Order: sequence, then C-alpha cells, then structure tokens
Amino acid sequence: MKKNILELREVSKTFVLESGKELKVLDQINIELREGETLALLGPSGSGKSTCLRIMCGLQDASEGQVLTRGETLDGINSDVSMVFQSFALFPWETIKRNIEISLLPLHLDSDTLKFRVKASIDMVGLEGFEEAYPRELSGGMKQRVGVARALAMERPVLFLDEPFSALDVLTADTLRDEIMNIFLSKKTKTHSMVVVTHNIQEAVIMSDRILVMGSNPGRIRAEFENRLPYPRIPETAPFTDLVSKIHGLITEAYIPDTMPILANLGERRVRQALAETLPDVHLIDVVGIIEAIDDEGGGVDVFALSSEIRKDFGHTLYLVKAAELLNLVETPKQQVILTKLGQSFAKADVNERKKMLHENFGELLIVKKTSDLLRENENVRIPISELKEKISEWLPNENPDKIADVLISWGRYAEYFGYNDNTKSVYLDVGQET
Amino acid sequence: MRYVPFTKPSSLLANSIALVLVAAFIFSLTIFGKQWEASFNPSYEISTSLSELPLYTAFSALRGLIAFLFSLVFTLTVGYWAAKSAKAEKIILPLLDVMQSIPVLGFLPGVVLALVALFPKTNVGIELASIFMIFTGQVWNMTFAFYSSLKSVPTDLKESAAMMKLSARQRLRVLELPFSAMNLTWNSVMSMAGGWFFLTVCEAFTLGNQTYRLPGLGAYMAVAMEAGETKAIIAGILSMTFIIIFYDLILWRPALGWAHSFRLEDTQNHKVEQPLMQLLIKESFVLKIVRFLYYRYHKKATIEPRSMEESPKEKSRKEIWGWMRPFAKYFIFALYALVLVGACYMSLRLFEVLATLHLVEWFEIFRDTGFTFLRVIIAVILGTLWATPVAIWIAQSPQRLQVAQPLVQLMASFPAPMLYPLAIAVFIFLKINFEFSSMLLMLLGVQWYILFNVLAGALRIPNELRLSMQLMGSSKWQQWRYLFLPSVLPSLVTGWVTAAGGAWNASIVSELVAYKGQTLKAHGLGALISEAAEQANFPKLAACLTVLVIFVVILNRTFWSKIYNLSQVRYRMDL
Repeated sequence: MKKNILELREVSKTFVLESGKELKVLDQINIELREGETLALLGPSGSGKSTCLRIMCGLQDASEGQVLTRGETLDGINSDVSMVFQSFALFPWETIKRNIEISLLPLHLDSDTLKFRVKASIDMVGLEGFEEAYPRELSGGMKQRVGVARALAMERPVLFLDEPFSALDVLTADTLRDEIMNIFLSKKTKTHSMVVVTHNIQEAVIMSDRILVMGSNPGRIRAEFENRLPYPRIPETAPFTDLVSKIHGLITEAYIPDTMPILANLGERRVRQALAETLPDVHLIDVVGIIEAIDDEGGGVDVFALSSEIRKDFGHTLYLVKAAELLNLVETPKQQVILTKLGQSFAKADVNERKKMLHENFGELLIVKKTSDLLRENENVRIPISELKEKISEWLPNENPDKIADVLISWGRYAEYFGYNDNTKSVYLDVGQET
Repeated sequence: MRYVPFTKPSSLLANSIALVLVAAFIFSLTIFGKQWEASFNPSYEISTSLSELPLYTAFSALRGLIAFLFSLVFTLTVGYWAAKSAKAEKIILPLLDVMQSIPVLGFLPGVVLALVALFPKTNVGIELASIFMIFTGQVWNMTFAFYSSLKSVPTDLKESAAMMKLSARQRLRVLELPFSAMNLTWNSVMSMAGGWFFLTVCEAFTLGNQTYRLPGLGAYMAVAMEAGETKAIIAGILSMTFIIIFYDLILWRPALGWAHSFRLEDTQNHKVEQPLMQLLIKESFVLKIVRFLYYRYHKKATIEPRSMEESPKEKSRKEIWGWMRPFAKYFIFALYALVLVGACYMSLRLFEVLATLHLVEWFEIFRDTGFTFLRVIIAVILGTLWATPVAIWIAQSPQRLQVAQPLVQLMASFPAPMLYPLAIAVFIFLKINFEFSSMLLMLLGVQWYILFNVLAGALRIPNELRLSMQLMGSSKWQQWRYLFLPSVLPSLVTGWVTAAGGAWNASIVSELVAYKGQTLKAHGLGALISEAAEQANFPKLAACLTVLVIFVVILNRTFWSKIYNLSQVRYRMDL
C-alpha cells in the first residue's frame, strides 16, 4: 500500500462573520493524498474547496481535527507543497527569471544549481526567450506558465493547483492543462503528487486519479470516484463521458433531488425544523433566460445539455434550475428539466405578465412569507437589513445570512416584492411607496 | 537593485555635474561638522546680508535631509512593527494619531532642554533639537503611509511568499518594500514639505529668557521678518524655492521614476518624464562604479555555497530562540507592563501639573480654542470656495493641467510662514484686523491641500461621463451639479481633513507673529501655545496641548470619519 503523504482527519473549519455569528464552512472532512496520485476536489463555488487546500498548505488553521504530513502533525507552512494560484500571484516588479529565483531564495542554493533549476523549469513550460520579460508583458496563459514553472522549480513532492485555469479562456486553458499533464506524466520532475481544485467536471476527469465531490453548507465530501481511465484522456470517448455523466448525475441528485424538492437536502430528521428555503445565488433574469432556453428545446431538456446550451458551467446551471424549481416553473425528474404548466405559459407571456407570475410565485416561498410578516409587524413596513439578517440566521443556521439576504433582496426587487435603500440600509415591502 | 552592464559610454557632462554635486555635498558636510563642533553658542548672530544666504540655505537643506533620513528609519521600523504585531498595532496607531496632532512647539521645550543638557559644551544638542523638530513635521504621515501599504499587500502574493517559506527579511525585500515603494515615495515628498513648514520656528525660538538661533534659512527669515527687511525677505523666499526645486530634481523625480517600476498594474498611460537627475544617474560613470561595487558585494553574499537544507547557523539560531522562547514571552510581558506603568505615571504627573492651573486660565484656554476652531472652519470653507472650482476647471483641459501642475506642486510644498511677512504687509496696508487676518494666514498654508486633492479627484472623472452629459445637452450648471461636484466629493473630504489638521497646527505661527519690531497677536489656542513656550510656562503649555490633542482627535474620530465614510460609500466612482 502506498503511504499517505498528506491527510486531513475529521477537519472542520468555522469562520466568524462580521455580525459575530459563526459559520461552518467545512464539516468533518477526511482526505488522504497517497504518494504518486492526482486528486481532484470538485464542487461548486462556496463548497469550501479552497479552504480545504489552504488548510493542507498550512496557510490556514483547522478549527477542529488533524492535519498530518507523512504521518506527523503539520506545524506552520507545509514544506512538501508548492502552489499554483488562480490569480497567478507573480511579483509584478520582477522579471520572469527573478520571479522563479525568488521562490528558491530560502534554499540558499549555490549559483550553478540555482541557474540550472531556473533554466530547467523555464524550458519545461516553454518560456524560453521570456526570461527578461515582466509579467505585465505576458498574456494570461504565459503568466500561468510562470506560476507553474515557479512551483516546479521548488522541487517539492506535492503540487497544489487552485482553480489554475479559471482566469484563462477555454482554448488557452485546454492547451495549458495538456502541457501540465504531459510534464507531470513524464516523471521528469521531483513532483509526484498533485491536488487540483476545480469546479469543472471534465477538468477533474482529465487530470485526476481520484475525484472527491464536495457539497456546500457546510462543505462536506459527498462522494468519491476512482478514475482509472488511461492517459491521455480524450473527452469524446465513451468511458470518459460515462464517468462525467456519473458525476453529473450525483451532483444533480444532490442539488435538484426528485423527492421533496425543496426541503429534502436538509435530511429526514431536520425537515420538521426547516423554516425557510435556501435561495441559490443567481439572478432572476438568468432564470427567465433558462426558461426560454428550455422552451426553445421543446419544453424539456437534460441538465447536461442545458448547461452547454446556455454556456454556463454545470454548477451554475444547477443553481439556475433549482431557482426555477423553487418558483414552480420547472420539474426535475431524474436529470431532466421540464417546464411545468406555469412554466409553459410563462415562456409565452409578455414582460408584464411574466412579472406578475414571478410576483405571485415568489410570494409563495416560505422565506418570503416570513419576511413579509416581519415587515408588516413594523408600522412603516420597513426594517433595517441587520434585523432581517438576524432572522435569516435563525431560519437557516447553516447558511451565510449576508449572502441569503442579498439574494432575497435581488429577487425581491425583480419580482417587485421588496425594496431596499442602501443609504438607510433598510428593507421595505414594495407597495409602491418608494418607486 | 539590478546590475546594468556598461553598455553606453558615459557622457562627460553628466560625469562632471555628478562630481561637482558630490564635491559640494562633501564640502557642506564639513562646514556643517565645524558648526556642530563649535563651542556652545545658542544664539548665532544672523546677518541679513545676502552673501551669507547661500551658506544658510545649504545648512537648512542639510538639516531637512538629515531629519528625513531619521524619518525614513523611524518609518521603516515603527511602521513595520505596527503592521506585523497586532499588540504593537493597538498601541502605536493611537499614539501616532496623538503625535501628529501635537504642533512642533509642543516638543520644543522638553527636547531642547534635554539635548542641550546632554551636550553642554558644543552646538550638537541644539542642532539635534532643531533636526528633531523638523523630523516631527515629517515623520507621522510617512509612518502611517508605510503601515497602510504593508497592510494592503494582496493576499495571493502574501500566500505565495508564505508557501516559498521566504524569511521575514526576504519577504521585506522582494514583496513588502517594492509593494509600498510608490506610496512611501509619494508620502515622502509630502512629508518633506511638511518638515519645511515650521522651519522658521525650528531654527529660531525663544524658551524662557533664552533665545536660540541656528545659522539657517529659517532663522534668517525670522530675523528678516522681525526687522522688516523686504529685500532680505524676498531673497529668503527665493532661496526656499531653490531648495524645493533642487530636491525635486535630484531626489523626488528620480525616486518617483524608480518607484513607478514597482507598480502593480499595467498602466502605461502614466508616463513618467525622465528628468535631469535620472539621466545623470543612468549616464554617470561614478555611479556605475558604485552600482558595480554594490553588485559585486551583493553577488558574493548570495553565492556563498550552502547546503540545501537549513544552514547550521540558522538552525542553531532557531535552537537558541526555541530555548529562549518562554523567557522572551516574560520579557515582552514585562516590557508591556513597564510601558503601561510608565504611561500611568506620566498621566498622573500630567494631572498634577494641570491641577496647578487656575480656573481663569482654563476658561481662557477653552475660549481661545473656540476662536481657533472658528478660524479653522472659516479657512477650510474659504479654501473650498475658491479651490474646488479652480481645480475642476484646471482638470478639464490637458493644457491647463500642464501649466498648473508644477505651479500647484511648488506652492503646496512651499512653507507658507515664509510668505507671511508679504501677506501681513498687505493686511496692514488694507487695515484688516489681525483677529481676522490671522485666519487668512492659516488659509495661505492649507488651501493647497484642498486644491491638490480636488484636482486628483477631478482627473479621475471618466471621460465617458463628461461626454454623455455634453451629448444630453446638459447646461454648465447641470454638469457641475450632477457630475463634477459629486465625483470630487470624496477627494474634497480628504482635502478637508488634511487642511483642517494643518490649520490647527498652523495656528501656532499665524496667531502670534513678530513683524517689524511689533508683535501681532490674535486670540486663539495657537497664540496661547506660542506664548506659553516662549515664557517657558510649562503647566500652561501642557494644558493647551492636552486640550488641543483631545479636541483634534475627537473631531477626527467622530465628525471627520463619519463624513469621510459617507462620501466613500455614496460617491465612490465604481462603474
């Protein structure tokens, strides 16, 4: 059996919000990184993937649980790990060569070794000729090559990639991803294990031996997939698409389940206590967009197909579908999204009728009813936003009340239900009083 | 610093100018050294003849530079400390806030008496006292700037440096210093101007029955003012202008050009001119040698072969620290306890001193604080009324900006008290009451803060917004009301805060002025402070300063910070 080079045991992380409330972002996470493997942490934004990574680096401390490197408790920064950042994190005032040299400063290398290592890593990522260039002179793809070269030059056994291609366009990302995999598989480097954080399912399948799917509120590991597909992995082949759709299915089931669509993900035991719905962080105007897209497809479509149709990533599409479902505009049997009767008439309606429908259905949500009651208790049907957030954290203890309040107001404004004044920081019932 | 190989032949002219400058610098240092070693002579006989003026000017320029070097050292250590230690931060920040609201005269008696007592036989003590007072005019602003830069280093760069395991020193060199270079340089320029402001006070002052004067431009101006010699006054003003332009050319422009290379983003539209001195540095052979030597030394330091792992030296150092850690904890605890006890003792003593004051005197202090407050407000309002429209007007055309910018920059860094004699001559001619005209003297110093800030704000107004209003056919008034005024408001508020702070400080030189053998006095806290320092009336001085500091700090913490936050939220330019 291969040794665990890095391990998280029952790790939880709690942040203290500005209001003083605590928010759990990671709950009882167990991760084992074996020597020589590539692990992917896959999940939508807000699922705590990056926090996980930072805890493994020693950049952040865990609130509970243990972090072990080669069996010993991690103290401070993890010297086994080098990291590639989403935002590149290059020193803008230094040349490419110096940027790489800086990462080697703490090693006190003699000048020959230093030169050799810098040159080798520059050659590996194809940056020859750019040694004296400054980061600002390079395109995003070239900048990220510097980020990779810098990490490889450190010759640490583990490489962390934190959404490494998210800031790049699709074509550049594909090329760079292939190049990194080639370098890694060629075994020419001292780096033999990799952890990649991503929200892109295909990327996870292309890059990793094992995929951990994370879910949010609080962040947990929902499932683990072994990936034994041979390299190079080609996205169009049948085994590849099989695995991708298996993961799709799991995530879909988690976010838009067939049973008890609204409250099911709270779990059997907690249904009775459920006081309000979690609102997905999307704009209503985009929800209107997917209704039209589904209508164009004949009123029913696979979530997967919908995602590529509207050119949004899968996680975001799921959130949109979930929002539409909350508003009774769609149903989601299995991985299908089908317009309800209401959805069909919504698709055919004009702007004013649509607003009216949204207004009515939005009003049916538990969280909206509760908020309206709260506002009506007040003489001016107006309360400070802080009070609403306080209530939300009672209704939804596992959610970030700031975020939910933002979404509630954004939807409420679009549905002409609630209004909000940023100067007075107050929420009010939209009865045409402040138009 | 990176080594640049000898590619271009260095020009003869550049070399000779550089050599002459270096020689002049060394020469003035030696004369300055002589003055330091000369036997104790607290009241140097200042001559108003023009032939002495160049030497005085050189002395003052040197004092300003030395003070600046001290400021830089203080900034780099204290600013760094405050940014790195949460405990230190809690003590240093409020302390700096209090320090920057104490006018220079507040430091004067204690520092002068202590330093003169330390060096009773030579002029070193009094020279140091003068330099220290210039230092107090420069340092706080710089420290704040460096601290806030360190605090705003982007997270990803910080994390990246942490993952590399850079040592604190390496981190400072490759990340923190480069990141704060631009902010620190800009604030150095402003701080240097702040240091000149009280030059007339720093080089010539009275403490009880002893008059202190140092050979320097400030003392020269003070004497010329008292005698009312117009020719000497104008010559002094010209000399001050020379110092400012000189430092701008040889220090600030190259420094700003250098700092610009550490910018975070790709902003190529901000082209920095290549001024005279930067050319000199690039071309001069002398400096190439210096750089070459530096590079050699530097290379040697990094090339030394060491093992891949931690060097034994470092390891043993770590062990020592590990062993000492528990003791270090107690030591630090004891240190904090000592500071706390010291502070308690000092406040008790202050209370004792304050208790000796009569009720009548307290009444006087509070009443005069009210007068000064009124002057500060009126000065800020008058400054706003003229400077806002002018700044917006200037910002609208690149040609106007080109003409106005160097002029505004010079005016803003020129110490206003040196212009007071000319202004007072006008006031006397117009028969304006000094109670009122002392407010105008205040205004003379602080209006530039408003102009400068509003100008910066007006330059940030997006062109699209202006064009769209023109396309709508909006009237001039509508453009001002709905575009220009709201968009400069946040910068205007910053201008107000700095101007008001400056006005409080300026009150000590503008409410009590010696001019042509007579003393002009207006009722106000500044006049009280000046008088108390002159008469060496320490209880009263302490009382005045306490009231001033409490008043200014409370005003900043409540009124100004509220307005500032409001303007930042409501009128921020994010499109």
